[in-house]
Amino acid sequence: MTVQAQAPTGHALHAQGVRRAFGSVQAVVNASLTLTPGTVTALIGPNGCGKTTLMLMLAGLLRPDGGTVEVLGHDPVTAGAVARKGIGWMPDVLGMWDSLTCTETLATFGRAYGLSKADADARAFTMLEKVHLADLAAQPARVLSRGQKQRLSLARALMGDPSVLILDEPASGLDPRSRIELRDLVRALAAEGRAVLISSHVLSELDEMVDEAVFMSKGVTLGESAEAEVARARARWRVTALPGHDVHAALSEAARDWSPVEGADASVAVVHVADADDAADLLASLVASGMRISAFGPVGSALEQAYLSIEQERR
Amino acid sequence: MSVETTQTTPAPQGRRGRRPSFGRLTWSGLTLVIGLELRQRVRSTKWKVALSLIAALIAVITGLIIFAVPNDEWQPGDLVFGLVVYFVLFLGLVVSPTLTATSINGDVKEGTLAPLQATTLSAWDIVLGKLLAAWFASLAILAVAIPFIIFAMLDSEAHPAALITVILVLAAELLVVCALGLAWSALTSRTASSAVLTYVTVAVLVVVMPILFPLLMLTMPVEQTMTYVNRDYAYSESTVDEDKYPYVDESGYHYRCTEETYTQTAYRTDRLWWLLAVNPYVIVADSAPSPEIPEDSDEYYYTDGILDAIKQGVRELRLPPATTSDYCQPGLSEEEMYRREQREGLSPTWPWGLGFHAILAAGSVLIAVRRVAVPYGTLPRGTRVA
Repeated sequence: MTVQAQAPTGHALHAQGVRRAFGSVQAVVNASLTLTPGTVTALIGPNGCGKTTLMLMLAGLLRPDGGTVEVLGHDPVTAGAVARKGIGWMPDVLGMWDSLTCTETLATFGRAYGLSKADADARAFTMLEKVHLADLAAQPARVLSRGQKQRLSLARALMGDPSVLILDEPASGLDPRSRIELRDLVRALAAEGRAVLISSHVLSELDEMVDEAVFMSKGVTLGESAEAEVARARARWRVTALPGHDVHAALSEAARDWSPVEGADASVAVVHVADADDAADLLASLVASGMRISAFGPVGSALEQAYLSIEQERR
Repeated sequence: MSVETTQTTPAPQGRRGRRPSFGRLTWSGLTLVIGLELRQRVRSTKWKVALSLIAALIAVITGLIIFAVPNDEWQPGDLVFGLVVYFVLFLGLVVSPTLTATSINGDVKEGTLAPLQATTLSAWDIVLGKLLAAWFASLAILAVAIPFIIFAMLDSEAHPAALITVILVLAAELLVVCALGLAWSALTSRTASSAVLTYVTVAVLVVVMPILFPLLMLTMPVEQTMTYVNRDYAYSESTVDEDKYPYVDESGYHYRCTEETYTQTAYRTDRLWWLLAVNPYVIVADSAPSPEIPEDSDEYYYTDGILDAIKQGVRELRLPPATTSDYCQPGLSEEEMYRREQREGLSPTWPWGLGFHAILAAGSVLIAVRRVAVPYGTLPRGTRVA
């Protein structure tokens, strides 16, 4: 897999102070983000916060009212085709040419990105394998299920061998198995050196997939406060002991920063840990002190927690 | 975290500062879009059925026209040929808009345009690819019609070269209509609106302009002196003074010519003829070569049939109103000879009409390219990019 040369600045995509209005509606007020090659970045925010609009501007489909976007060193406004060549964009709308087969659809996109017919056909085949649609290669797109269309749409975004992948809600409508496959695929794509930006509502999925997160609310990307919030959320672990064991007392004795869980007795608590090492140490000491621990792990999804607390702050 | 805090980028520029370019037309991109459009269309519609129906319809109409036009000593001229050609043009004007009038906004609605725009294809590739694909599809209708046009030709007295010009002009008109549809589909978000607007535009050229022509004409009357030359017969053939009544008519009666002069209202059709020149039917008629005029012809219009009549009629309207009307002498008067000469000396009407249509088509393509070029500046009301 070849990936195009990175921009001299070291990042694949950089947006600074981007804004965009539709009429009187300010969809994106002030968005800044940087995508690094080889990493997966999540774009997280509630419905209507401007995620899709921001992604359209990054993909070179929508002109920002202000601010700068730079894709591999090119401005998508003034050097449109050059910038778009480095981007693979998967829209949240699943528009497919009904009467074209999966192979034809992908080959068409390969050629639209400038591949020769032979190369486009070969790459279409590879991509269909990659998204597990090879057995449907000769089927017209109209017979595909929603999840299959979703995967074809992802394969479509990959036909130009992009350095930057922009995925708008790629997991919506996927069954659990497909989600896991998507997660593995996204990780693999990042491992190939691509920079991936992914938006999703299923935050627990993102947790295991992403290296970095950008929170967005009311058209603004949130800075370090969000970062700190994620770090804090990642440090929250839940301890559950067998009934009758007083975890609260044990944690106080260990001089830990902990809090009780609402509606539960003293056998359950949420505790702050510094990192995974610290968590392992804590577990060892709890077990050593005679606690019968039945469950020990991070609380829910860190991104979800951060997302919820940020949303609460902003209300 | 991926939030950049250092201010290293230049001051944000306004949207006016940077204009997106439309990109370049590439052969590979153009052929790709043409192939894609044709494949989509050919597979999604029952083309064979549609073309067979059109062929059957043209066959029936041609047969009825041949049956209806008398084929005796009275020469029907190019009547059969003209009527069949006009019916084919009518079909083309009705069918072609449907090929492009929802081409862009329909794709936007289905979400298939944006992924293409996100590739390295240029707006030129997409728009011209769509236009040419639609044109090729409408040429299939013309191809189906050609045998019937040839058949009608053989049944008519039209100039043989008219077959070629008529087919070429029909093809050009189909391209123009396809381009109009494309522009409307780029400008409006609803497919129903663009379809209606395309038909309205075609109707303006075909129907509204010819209606405007007499209405506008009546608003600009001019007073001019008109000379009528009439026959004045002798009272009694037995006592006729042959010096006073020098001419003899077919029945042997003597008469003289008298001139009378009136001030009359005339209409300056020579200022309004362009309203008719932009009509596709006039363009088709005017571009067809006329039958050869015999050297000694004494007819003002040497024509019968339909195409040549429209051609000569429109060219006559391009001349200023006549100032003499001679009912006295048989044959053409000097003024009539002069007007006929002038009319025949006029440049053809069709280049004006076709030129205007070419400008319309080119403008339509430009509008569509502007609308399809990404990144989008302003979006049509009520549309999403994707």
